[in-house]
Amino acid sequence: MTRRTGMLAIALVIVMVLPVLAHHSFAVYDHTRTITVKGTVTKFQWTNPHGFIEMDITQKDGSVKHFTVELTSINMMQRVGWRSNMIKPGDTVQVVAAPLLNGDPVGLGLEVVLADGKTMPLPVPAIGGFKRSEASQ
Amino acid sequence: MFVLASQFMTAQSAGVPDITGSWLRQGFTVGVRPAGQQTPAPPPPAPPPPLKGEYLKEWQARLQAIREADAKGQPIATNAVACLPEGMPGMMTATFPMEILQSRGQVTIIEEAYTQVRRILMDRPVPALDDIEPGFFGHSVGKWQGDTLAVETIGVKENVRYQNVPHSKDMKISERIRLVAPETLWNEITITDPTVLEKPWTFTFAYQRMKDYTLLEYICEDNREYADDKGHQQIRVDPEKR
Repeated sequence: MTRRTGMLAIALVIVMVLPVLAHHSFAVYDHTRTITVKGTVTKFQWTNPHGFIEMDITQKDGSVKHFTVELTSINMMQRVGWRSNMIKPGDTVQVVAAPLLNGDPVGLGLEVVLADGKTMPLPVPAIGGFKRSEASQ
Repeated sequence: MFVLASQFMTAQSAGVPDITGSWLRQGFTVGVRPAGQQTPAPPPPAPPPPLKGEYLKEWQARLQAIREADAKGQPIATNAVACLPEGMPGMMTATFPMEILQSRGQVTIIEEAYTQVRRILMDRPVPALDDIEPGFFGHSVGKWQGDTLAVETIGVKENVRYQNVPHSKDMKISERIRLVAPETLWNEITITDPTVLEKPWTFTFAYQRMKDYTLLEYICEDNREYADDKGHQQIRVDPEKR
């Protein structure tokens, strides 16, 4: 075995036994694109294992579609500065999310612009694995 | 206050290292700023488990199934999807902060995620397996050997699996916990299980002290993940809002 393949073998072993960081797999979400949604909050669910934002999005034809944003553990959110009073029903927020692969109107939140314009990050494990799209929905 | 003070003095007067406080696994710094430099250099990564043939095949097949299910966007539901705690030794990965408390006759370890608690009873013999019931955290006894807290744990449920590695009811987890620097704690874990392992499996976790960090509560208050009838992980959405 060459030194190079030896290193590769070691690298593979490391990958194999890395601990699972998240509460569960995020494989249900599309890692190849993101959507940007803006709407009115109907509920900010401040719970573990994960938080959620429920929002109504007005479409171009005037109809309203509901969208659910899954967040991370509220403990991790608190450690990057989130508080439970940062979002209230009626707030207009903008969310960059990785959409659910099965087509349901759900996304994993990667970043949220609050009603006051402040951008809040979401501490999603391995967030670099989600490819961001430039186009907004 | 008097009780707390006397317990603290007991730990100190025994001349044992003070490991009380909040700790986080080195490198798992999402949203936190551990105190001090990460010295010394981190321990080597864990080797793969030295499983015996049939168990190795079972483990590799499980990992392959997980990879394939993830690639299809239909991950296999795990214990975590049901909001079950990691148990031992998984909770010692401390991917969320972990608190160690030293009191008279006991060292208590609390992991923030899932509010996992294990109690290490000091200076007493390991119980007989027949005298205890299996659980997520098992039964732990410990003693200080110089600067090292040596802990033996038995009685971990067979469905509580770290890294999906199978184990028998006879698995024994030995830990050697010691400060390698003022703000750095290492936990060398050795898993002994002659039924499924060719030889003991040893790996080391390194933790960094988190000064002034108080653990947050963690309750699975509304878990919207669930396993469907095919065992795939799903997320609950109000049917009227689909």
